Amino acid sequence: MGMKNFKKKLRDFVYGKPHRERRLGDLYEPKTGLYKHREWRGIKDTMYYFNRIWLYNYGMMVYDVMRYGGVVNFMKGVWRYRWIGQTYLTVMHWYDRGFEGLRGPALAASAWHYRAMTSETIRQFMRMFSADANLRGGKRNELWQKTIAHDETVAGAIFYPWRDRIDDVPLQMVPYFFTWHVTWHTVLHYIDAVQSIGLPGDPCPMCQAEAGLSVLDDMPDYFPFLITSNEACDGSVGTSILQDWAYDKPLFAMPQPMQFDDPLVQEHCRREIEECWKFIEEQTGLPFDYDCFVKYIERYNELTRFEHEKWDVAANSPYYPLCGSAQALYRIYYSQAGWRDIWAQTDKRVKKILHKCVERKINCFPETRHRVIAWSCAPLYYSFWPTWAYNCWGLYTVINMDSLMFDIDMRTDTPEHLMEDFTLYNEWAPMRRMAVGGYKHIFELWENMERFHCDMVMMYDQIQCKGMQGITGMFEDEFRKRNIHAIWMPHALPDSRTVSRAEIRSKINDYMFTVMHEEPLDPTLLDFDDSLGW
Amino acid sequence: MKKAKKILFTVLGGAAALYAGLFAVFYFDLDGKFLYHVVEPFLCRHYDKIERRDISKVPYDVDKYPEYEYKT
Repeated sequence: MGMKNFKKKLRDFVYGKPHRERRLGDLYEPKTGLYKHREWRGIKDTMYYFNRIWLYNYGMMVYDVMRYGGVVNFMKGVWRYRWIGQTYLTVMHWYDRGFEGLRGPALAASAWHYRAMTSETIRQFMRMFSADANLRGGKRNELWQKTIAHDETVAGAIFYPWRDRIDDVPLQMVPYFFTWHVTWHTVLHYIDAVQSIGLPGDPCPMCQAEAGLSVLDDMPDYFPFLITSNEACDGSVGTSILQDWAYDKPLFAMPQPMQFDDPLVQEHCRREIEECWKFIEEQTGLPFDYDCFVKYIERYNELTRFEHEKWDVAANSPYYPLCGSAQALYRIYYSQAGWRDIWAQTDKRVKKILHKCVERKINCFPETRHRVIAWSCAPLYYSFWPTWAYNCWGLYTVINMDSLMFDIDMRTDTPEHLMEDFTLYNEWAPMRRMAVGGYKHIFELWENMERFHCDMVMMYDQIQCKGMQGITGMFEDEFRKRNIHAIWMPHALPDSRTVSRAEIRSKINDYMFTVMHEEPLDPTLLDFDDSLGW
Repeated sequence: MKKAKKILFTVLGGAAALYAGLFAVFYFDLDGKFLYHVVEPFLCRHYDKIERRDISKVPYDVDKYPEYEYKT
């Protein structure tokens, strides 16, 4: 080995290999996606990953389980419910896939977001298990009485007026929504279950899987009543019916209007919310607490303000330290769940990292060739595709459609102002705000491209979403007219059997080769088999 | 004093060995391999055997609860 070669190897050992020499695809074992060994990122970043992410998060997971209900409850839950045992034990691999190739502040900031989501997930399932009558021979304890269940698409903010006295846990956020990000295998059981009782296979697979949890009898019995929604679309109405049948408990269906621009709809939506609150009062015997409502709204407003600060940096500088998947998942998770202390703690940590990057002008994604905006609803079994796309092609995903939901700083000066804004907030839910809110809202893509200085669109093509299918042609026309590079990414939301991850990658590869005439930054990532991976 | 030093070195040595062992688990993805090849198949076999309620045999009584309409 020559001196030059030795110096190069030493430099790679100390600082990690430069982006174009990493050959990340060589790290995978065939099919399973397991690593022959985890990536060596240089001494500093490898030790950061080992100490502050891998060890820290394993430790904090145990700590969270202990403080939210204890190991016995946890083990009982793991033994009873497939979605916990088959999914969440493997959570550190979800971190690995999201953070491949990341260095320095990007690694740290993204990991804090994942840590927050993990902690909130543990809080939710531990509350379920602690209150679960299924794990107690049908006996309903005090926590069971004090837990409200709601569809994951009903905003957690609806329950702020009671949050100091009782808690709310969404039905499917953890058993369904988060499972597919961590392990895509689990959710297939629920899709198959709902079709096994005779339902057709072509409705939205999200609604199928949500309903499948109750069909397969894999949902904890942790609540005396539930609140459901028609959000994101009429598929969710079908879910509510199946839930009503399966759970056999008092149920309030709180629709969220689609054409929310109409002022008359605002009034109607406000009444729906107030009716829901009456229902909660009646079921719990606990009166609505306006001060408590305002307190949590104001706390949540702080999160929104920091989100705006993050968007400002992301839009106007290369110093934004978040990978696309961390940005997108964290935003949809916390905005849907509503205020929790873990979000505030995380934002405080990330703010320090963000400010450091701006002050020191640290470009966290220096190999960016194209700034991408991702639009419509995402392939959630491949929510870490932005990490792959950056490592392979230099496509950096700056923002995505669902992150722009719930985007309102609510006024709390008078009850009237608060209710006006809160009604709008409730209407601006994920997928509702743009995807099902009328064509002029889905076309807000153009102004957001300008706002975030993006030069490329990753256009999600959820092939079982009838609403979005209806507007495909109009998008094609607009892309041509505006001369915008847009890659159509086919997917089937949670069902990776319909469109695989490998097929998604091949679509992007084809576009980058044949239309953009570009060469990959890391050719080992072009084509690999992860068909049996998590 | 000598004994204290010995205990100290034993504890530090043990901690260093544990740390090195954990680093090996981390670096070679042994946690992932163990979960993939051992834990997950074991749990999945268990989940497949759980007796579950057959929802198609549960009657759906749509009129069991009131309509929950309120004046606001």
